[in-house]
Amino acid sequence: MRGHGWKWLLCTPALIVLLLAASGPLLIVAVYSFLSPGNMGGVVWEFSTEGWFRVFFRRDIFEPDLVEWNAAHLQVFWRSIWLSLQTTFICAVLGFPTAWFIATRPPHTRTIWLFLITIPFWTNLLIRTFAIQEMIRNNGTINTVLMQLGLIDSPIQMMFTEFAVLLGMAYVFLPLMVLPLYAAMEKMDFRLVEAGYDLYASRLNVLWHVILPQVKPGFIAGSILVFIPAIGAYVTPRLLGGGRTMMLGNLIALQFGQGRNWPLGAALAMLMLVVVVGALILYLRVVGGNDEARRG
Amino acid sequence: MVSQEIEIAGLNKSFGQGAAAFQALRDIDLTIASGEFFTLLGPSGCGKTTLLRIIAGFEQPSAGTLRINGRDVTGLGPNKRPVNTVFQSYALFPHMSLADNIGFGLKMQGKPRAEIRATVAEMLQLVRMEAMADRRPSEISGGQQQRVALARALAPRPRVLLLDEPLSALDLKLRKEMQSELKRLQSETGITFVFVTHDQEEALTMSDRIAVMSAGHILQLGAPQEIYNTPVNRFVADFIGDTNFLKLRVKAVEGGAAVLELPGGKTAQASLPEGMAPTTGALVTAVIRPEQAEAAAPGTGDLQATVESATFFGTDTHLHLTLADAQGFVLRRQNRPGQPAPAPQSRLGLALAPGALRVLKD
Ligand SMILES: Nc1ncnc2c1ncn2[C@@H]1O[C@H](COP(=O)(O)OP(=O)(O)O)[C@@H](O)[C@H]1O
Ligand SMILES: [Mg+2]
Repeated sequence: MRGHGWKWLLCTPALIVLLLAASGPLLIVAVYSFLSPGNMGGVVWEFSTEGWFRVFFRRDIFEPDLVEWNAAHLQVFWRSIWLSLQTTFICAVLGFPTAWFIATRPPHTRTIWLFLITIPFWTNLLIRTFAIQEMIRNNGTINTVLMQLGLIDSPIQMMFTEFAVLLGMAYVFLPLMVLPLYAAMEKMDFRLVEAGYDLYASRLNVLWHVILPQVKPGFIAGSILVFIPAIGAYVTPRLLGGGRTMMLGNLIALQFGQGRNWPLGAALAMLMLVVVVGALILYLRVVGGNDEARRG
Repeated sequence: MVSQEIEIAGLNKSFGQGAAAFQALRDIDLTIASGEFFTLLGPSGCGKTTLLRIIAGFEQPSAGTLRINGRDVTGLGPNKRPVNTVFQSYALFPHMSLADNIGFGLKMQGKPRAEIRATVAEMLQLVRMEAMADRRPSEISGGQQQRVALARALAPRPRVLLLDEPLSALDLKLRKEMQSELKRLQSETGITFVFVTHDQEEALTMSDRIAVMSAGHILQLGAPQEIYNTPVNRFVADFIGDTNFLKLRVKAVEGGAAVLELPGGKTAQASLPEGMAPTTGALVTAVIRPEQAEAAAPGTGDLQATVESATFFGTDTHLHLTLADAQGFVLRRQNRPGQPAPAPQSRLGLALAPGALRVLKD
């Protein structure tokens, strides 16, 4: 139909942007991961699986045939996944009561609370991260106050720890959990909560059997929105974690920078993509498919 | 002696504070007997839901006491009261099967699995939904959801079942069906039902007793016949059934009755409400139900009237009449084969049934 074909035109600009900005570079990265590294960075057009090989293994400098697991890489993978999972969990635990609070305000004041939630987005990520640095530095706000109060004798080391990275990521990504949770709660039928109480459920039982199943879509969306950017986080681990708590994003950046191994960086980037998509599918199967499974 | 299931004394409920406060319930005194089918009837906004929510425990009264089965339940949460609610919106849990919905209350009470399963099966049978135990609420019709909501509320065997306009979302035929279903369930279970409706016919046909409410007050409390036949004031008379209101002059007062002057010159006896003693010559409001007069040949009967229009209702016809002094009067006449509706502008006489005319307090 003509009418239909014409409407397609409306989304072509967006499609073109997506194609150029996402698919194009992705294709380039995929191709680069199978080429050889140039001496000064860049790639040499010569097919090689060395990039992918080095994602997991390392060769002895003097005897290239001596192969062992690349423990440093594996550690970074594990740390990225583990920190991202923890971030998602922290955001969920903190985000739930926040979203609940907003969703139970009178309708006209909810907008104000939502507005307040989005305020951090107004400031550049770098600046916000430096602000956290300022708080948790050895001679930063928290340590200074604690020392002035005489609660501690020497500063607590918070900078350049996994704690610092977690704190930073939870802070940055929290709104991404609150907003979908709020959207799910706003749609929720609060009469079901009353029905739960009416049928002898305690507060905890109402939360578990009535509220959580209803806001599950919000949790799923929020978890995805937090986990995916968390696993590729670059600025936060760089500024708060330093060199010792490197995450995948930093490792990839390193290969394209000082490491001068673009194929390895490209392979790592592709791996991250595969991991994220895989995790997403698995997650949706397990959590989202629950309903169908239960019905047998 | 009949045991009292619910005793409410001096109950008041205000929403909001200070100048913005709104009093939704005023000085409610009410006792509901065990096993009774009790109905709260009144127009929208009169406080029926609020009263029900206070009994259920969703709202706390501003003043007054509430006892259920002799126990003061003030301050007790809904999950601690032997009372279940059938919500107007049904409020079935969308993520659970019908069987899980029905078993929810028992599960929360910590009943053993075997007992839950048995009760759920029994309840499904009671509401005739056995075949659909594994479906979701979204997969059944409104009438079926209604029945499941009933089964869910009945399953924990509460002492009292609260029903907030449970039938208002159903179409007429289904509503009639559910009305008799509800009566059946109530007599089979022996549970006290507190039923809320704004439909007077529903209230009259189903209830043991009715409380007619308006603006937070209970205006009249009594059996359906009592409320229909002897409404205490104009509001109740108007709200329950159809009523003719006539402004008539008092000719004499004899004991508990007044002799009223009818348009056209004749007189009729009318009962007086307790404590009312109008003076001779005063204008009073008298009421008579449309079916409590009969058409007679012109010139005979108590009143003379002109036909304005006729409305056909199937079982009967409503004749809209004008009396000699231009007051309106509606006559309900049962339809019989071969009996045509009188033509507009034709004249007829009206014979009032003895004792049908009553003087009302305004
Ligand atoms: N939570 C509340 N806050 C303020 N006013 C309320 C609240 N609940 C009910 N009301 C008011 O109380 C009155 C009675 O309401 P309700 O009990 O729902 O009436 P009904 O069920 O008879 O239609 C209404 O005027 C309503 O606006
Ligand atoms: Mg109501």
